[in-house]
This record gives sequence, C-alpha cells and structure tokens, in this order.
Amino acid sequence: MTILEIRGLQTSYNRSVPVLRGINLTVRQGDFVGVIGQSGSGKSTLLRSINRLIDVDGGSIIAPASLFDGRTGPAVDILQLSNSELRQVRRRIGMIFQQFNIVHRLSVINNVLSGGLGYQPAWRSTLRIFSREERRRALINLKRVGLLDHAYERADQLSGGEQQRVAIARTLMQEPAIILADEPVSSLDPKLSRVVLDILKRVCREDGITAMVSLHTLDLTREYADRVVGLKEGQIVFEGATEELTDSIVDAVYGPSD
Amino acid sequence: MAQPLEDLEGDIFLEAPPRPRRGKKCFAALTIGAVVLAWSFHGAKIRAGELVQGIPQIGQTLARMLPPDFSKITEAKHYYFPENLSWRELLLPASLSEADARAKSRWWDNTFPQTVMGATLETIQMAMAGTFLALLVAFPLGFFAARNTTPHPLVYQGVRLVLNLVRTIPDLALGLLFVAAVGLGAFAGTIALAIHTATVLGKLLSESVENIDEGVVEAIRATGAGYSQILSFAVLPQILPDLISFTLYRFETNIRAASVLGLIGAGGIGYLMNTSFRTFQYQEAAAIVLVLIGLVMLVDYLSSRLRNLVV
Repeated sequence: MTILEIRGLQTSYNRSVPVLRGINLTVRQGDFVGVIGQSGSGKSTLLRSINRLIDVDGGSIIAPASLFDGRTGPAVDILQLSNSELRQVRRRIGMIFQQFNIVHRLSVINNVLSGGLGYQPAWRSTLRIFSREERRRALINLKRVGLLDHAYERADQLSGGEQQRVAIARTLMQEPAIILADEPVSSLDPKLSRVVLDILKRVCREDGITAMVSLHTLDLTREYADRVVGLKEGQIVFEGATEELTDSIVDAVYGPSD
Repeated sequence: MAQPLEDLEGDIFLEAPPRPRRGKKCFAALTIGAVVLAWSFHGAKIRAGELVQGIPQIGQTLARMLPPDFSKITEAKHYYFPENLSWRELLLPASLSEADARAKSRWWDNTFPQTVMGATLETIQMAMAGTFLALLVAFPLGFFAARNTTPHPLVYQGVRLVLNLVRTIPDLALGLLFVAAVGLGAFAGTIALAIHTATVLGKLLSESVENIDEGVVEAIRATGAGYSQILSFAVLPQILPDLISFTLYRFETNIRAASVLGLIGAGGIGYLMNTSFRTFQYQEAAAIVLVLIGLVMLVDYLSSRLRNLVV
C-alpha cells in the first residue's frame, strides 16, 4: 500500500536558487527507506517538505486520509492543507534530527511527553500538566529505547547516543505513521550509530511505521535500508531495492557533477 | 632538498589574497572618535584642577559625617510607639478597643514608614512589587517583541516601538507623573519602577528569545504542537536562566532606584536621606547611607545565591 505519493515537488532557497527540481517518488507503507546523496543534494529539504517544516514552491504530496486519525475518504495533498489540518497530519509524522533537538533543560520524561503535544489540549499541556495515562505511555516508550532508568534526569546529563534515543521515544509518543530521520547518526561514532539505528529499525517494524532516513555512509545504508533513494542536485537519480544499489550507481550519486 | 624558510614565507605572501587595506578608514574612525570624546569632555566640564582643589572640601564633608549617628535607628523614642499598646499588641494581630486599633493602624500606615527602618523596608517592598508587576507585563511582551516568536510582524514592530519609546522616559520622570496622579507615597514610586522595568525586561527577554536554538523549536513544531505549546516546551526552557538572571538583576537595580525615588516623594528611604542632608544632619545621613549600602550588598548576595540555586 502506498503511503506517500510525491509528484513534481519543487523547492527553492529564497525563491531564487532551486533546491529540489521536480521530485517524483512513491513510498510504500512499512518500508525503511534510506536517502543518500552529497551534502547539498536536497536530502534534508526533501524530508522537511513532507511535514512542511519548509515552504514548497510546487508539486503535490498525496497521502491516504487515514493519516488523519480515524478518517476515511479520498487521499489528501499535504501541500494543500490548512494550518489546523497540517497540525493533525504533523502529529502522525515523527521527525528525528542530526542534532537531536531535545530540550536540554527539561527532564527526559518531559522531553518524551512533548511528543504528544499535538494530541493534547493546549492550555493543559502548555502548563506541562499530563495525565497518568500520558505519563504511563511515556515511560513505556522510554523502556522501548532502553532509557527507563534515566526518566527523571535532566536531558543534558545524557550522552549523544542516549539523547537521540530520547528523541526516538519522543517521536513514538506521536503514534506516527511515518518517521522522517534527517542524518540521525551523523553526530555519533559508528558503534553508537548502530545502537541507535537498531532501535529505530526495531520500533518501526514493531509499530508498522514507514521510515525515511537520510544516512551519511553507504555501509549503514546497505545494512539498514530496505529501499534506497539517491539524490543528486535536487533530482532523484536512483530509486530501488537496496540490493540493486550497484557500485556504478553509487558513483553516479556521489560522482562529480556535469 | 629543504628550502630555506625565508623562501617559503616569501611565496606564501604572494600566494595569499591581497591583504585588505583599511588604514585610511581606521585612521578616520579614530580621529572622529577622538574629536567626539574631546567634545564630550568639554561639555561635561571636566577640569582636573578643580577636582584636586575640591578634595579638602570632600574631606570636610566626610569628616562632618563621622561618626555616623545611628540613634534614629536604635533609639525607641524615634519610632513614636503608641503609648498604651504593648509590643505584642502592636506586632501581632490582636483584638483591641476601637481607639487602640485606630492608633495601631495609624502607626503602621503613617508613623512607621517615616522611620529609617520603616522606610528601608518600604524600599524593599517597592522594589519587589515593582519588579514582579514588571515581570508580569514583560513576559508576554518579550515573546511578542522577538522576531522568531511574534504572532505577526506588525505586533513585533508595534511592541518594539512602544518598548523603545517608554524606555526612554527616566523612572524619575515617571515617578513625578504618578505622584501627580495618585499622590505622594510608595504606590506612585512602585508604578514608576514597574513601568520602567517592564520595558527593560521586555527588551532583554526578546533578545534572549531571539538567541535560542531554533532546532528545538523545529522539533516541537514537527510534533504538531501549537503556538503556546512551542513556547512552553521549546522556548521557555531555553530562556529560563536569562529570565531569572535578568529579573534578579533588575530587582537589585530597583532597590537603588527606589531609594532615589524618595527624593520626589515617591516613597522609600531616599526621602529621609535627602531630608537629613538638606537639614545638615550629616551624621544622621551617614547612618542612612550605611543602611542603604548594607541593604544593597545583602540583596546582591542573596540574589546571587538564589541565581546559583535555580539556574
């Protein structure tokens, strides 16, 4: 089943320098998609277009209506949603960042709880009041990433790898259908990278989450991805199963331009 | 074969891009700076000679202040305690006859604030109340006046404009305005402090908000969070240390400001100090100055302890 149907997606920097030049991509539900390409090839931009953290110039991103909670009906174009509809879609799309972007001065459990903000009434969660059920789910998700013991520590007490696992637990609070991970292990050493990616892949499989993960090394891509998207200068130059990623294709993705 | 070091250095200067020439601009800027400074010194009537000649005068005034006369603080008669009330009845809530109750409230409201101790306590109260009111106002304004959290660019421009305009009004001028509006006393001074402090805190907070790590904001936004939730989870934790530091710093500043506001009759210890100086009671004035110095040092110390505790 298709979960994302991206057609003719175009973005630019300051409406003058093109970044994505017409992306066409179909993502099937449950796939773990590795996104590769040189720096500046548009990996981050592609991921951020999907939950509209950046403005898009043109194209469409079609997703099934089930991405909204319990809705049925025709598929929706994420790029055409109103602000309140966008917030509803965003809460089903988790995001993981290279710099973790957890809140250092909050406790670990408060960081995890912040993942559920999209589901909670604004006045209550703004005051950081959470129900017992919400706290129970936060602790369960912390256990799934192996950090239950650190629940009440301040987040900046944790190591980099642990902070990224907190970010994964935060994302799980969103009950996401899709996780977008932008260079999730680029700030970590190879050993910790595998620990984090193991956890990410496991929770995605357990919950049937579709993942789009940009990775900075081919080793990790071959090891973890089911499918691979190769970007070059804002265009897709390869899309297929990981086994089809031959050396000549890798050369085409990373090779010199022109 | 090793090349002589001189050759390498010669090469590297030729290879490097030409060094930017800014000699003329630098010289012009320095000249302008020197002229402006000379002009300022002239305007400020800085004459070292007069200062040196005046040193004996300073010595005489200081000598007249010694030893400080603490009798107004230590002697009971200067507190004008109501005669037929016991300590207990005066300090604690007690059931009293109507006349005694009136005497008690008159002492607390009118007599005590005019004693040195009472005026000192009033100064602290003014600074605390003024700073707290200012924080209530400045907290939302800080978000409105920051580019990254303002609900609308027009709100950003508007709030900045108002903050900048009001901040130019000295708190002494605000004090005069409110003395005229609500009469002499601590209330006028407190409002003046609150308004001035609100503009300063609002500006400082907005700059703190603009310096936060936007990555965290992006992460919380990506969860589908709304405006107030983003402020609470991504922005507030990051500005909290600044918020506490700035507020405590302004509280210290307000103790000083509240002492000065007494000069225009807007409450606080400044009024007593001014009266002592005007009536040539230098020894008494010295005692008040010492009390004030002690108070400011105490507040500095306590607030730095508090800052270490929470930040």
